Amino acid sequence: MRRLIDFVVRFKNYITLSTLVVMSFALMSVGNLSQLGGFRAVIVGSIGWMQSLFAWIPNPVALKSENVALRELNLQLAVESARSRQSMVENASLRKMLELPQYTDYTLIAADVVGKTTTQLRNYATINKGTEDGVREGMSCITDAGLVGIVIGASQHYAVLQLLINRDTRVSAKDQRTRVDGIIQWEGENFLVMKDVPRAYDVQAGDLILTSAYSARYPANIVIGRVLEVGEESNSLFRRIVVESAVNFATLEQLFVVDTRSSAERSELERRTEERQRQRSTP
Amino acid sequence: MALNFDAQRSQLMATPSLRFILYAVVALMLAVIHVVFLGYISVSSVTPDLLLLFTVWVALVEGQFTGMIAGFLCGLLFDVVSADVLGANALAKTLAGFVAGYFWREGFAMITIGHYRYLLIVAIAGVIHNLVYYLLYVQPMQIDFVMFFLKYGIATTLYSTVAAVFPMLYVNRRRDQ
Repeated sequence: MRRLIDFVVRFKNYITLSTLVVMSFALMSVGNLSQLGGFRAVIVGSIGWMQSLFAWIPNPVALKSENVALRELNLQLAVESARSRQSMVENASLRKMLELPQYTDYTLIAADVVGKTTTQLRNYATINKGTEDGVREGMSCITDAGLVGIVIGASQHYAVLQLLINRDTRVSAKDQRTRVDGIIQWEGENFLVMKDVPRAYDVQAGDLILTSAYSARYPANIVIGRVLEVGEESNSLFRRIVVESAVNFATLEQLFVVDTRSSAERSELERRTEERQRQRSTP
Repeated sequence: MALNFDAQRSQLMATPSLRFILYAVVALMLAVIHVVFLGYISVSSVTPDLLLLFTVWVALVEGQFTGMIAGFLCGLLFDVVSADVLGANALAKTLAGFVAGYFWREGFAMITIGHYRYLLIVAIAGVIHNLVYYLLYVQPMQIDFVMFFLKYGIATTLYSTVAAVFPMLYVNRRRDQ
């Protein structure tokens, strides 16, 4: 017993280090904060409240960037406004002719961004709308420019969003021009990458990338960004498509939470099919 | 008045339980400051890691054992307030506290912190911290870890080392007084 105590005393630093490392890995295996339920809501609420207290402090770097972005947007909108007036007339008559179903009118909840954790590549944002306003986990967020991200936690008056430029982002996307599908990911750079697009498929720089109807998490036909560069992945049959996000995350101040959660029937069907296939594949 | 304050301060620092409560309060404040205010001084999303500086400070003042515990708790606190994966920062800061603890010398803590050596220790602990943190961070992404670490890990370490100049100068000035 004494020898054991001596051993522990002698190597206490290494034993402590090993214990703390094991504890850290155990915590990581538990998963992210979303599994901590009510505890998380308290943290989200407290941090959101503190961030909202200081949200009035201007960030000169962000303001300058926003100013430039707004000027560009203004120019684009002026051109697009004229085009869209014409397109609306055409669209209405074509829809009538083809009897296509109208786009679903989503319920939008306007919110202000009261805090952003874009430091050290975490890329989350806190908004001043929570469960009391109808915001729930899993809802998407958009701006006039395009897709922003998804709500990953909500308290009574605040919610935390996982921005599109987050390592856990996976968005089912399509090329507007050619309808080619792919998966949008973020790889730590300033741009997004569209993956799983075979080399034979037609995607060109300048194409608009939208959310696909395949996604159960994001509403369809929301602008994600524009193709900046099309390359080829080494040792792969797929293309590497670099996409510039339509949203300027550095100047994000207002957004809309889209009240569209995936259909429970669809999710249940997909879950059952996946389970059945897993059972078939196990010998 | 100043003498009275210094006497109260030394009494506080001599009582371990009060000292650890003070550490906890400072860690909590630094975590909140990091999440709420540090975005204003971020350069391309890179900010100094205040809790890493604090972990190194505790490791140099209290030793390796306490440094590791402080690193673990500071990391866990930061994981909670920054909505990160629980355990990622805890692991990285535990290792940073362990490494910084090797530079602990009884009775020489303030000399070490008030010297350029403190910056070197922060840089070494920062490299270890960011190596571990970003290794875990890039796991879900299909990217080259080395390039990612060179870009973000080194930048964060450098920014933290620059920020470490402030506690170094503060301690240096206090010692001169």
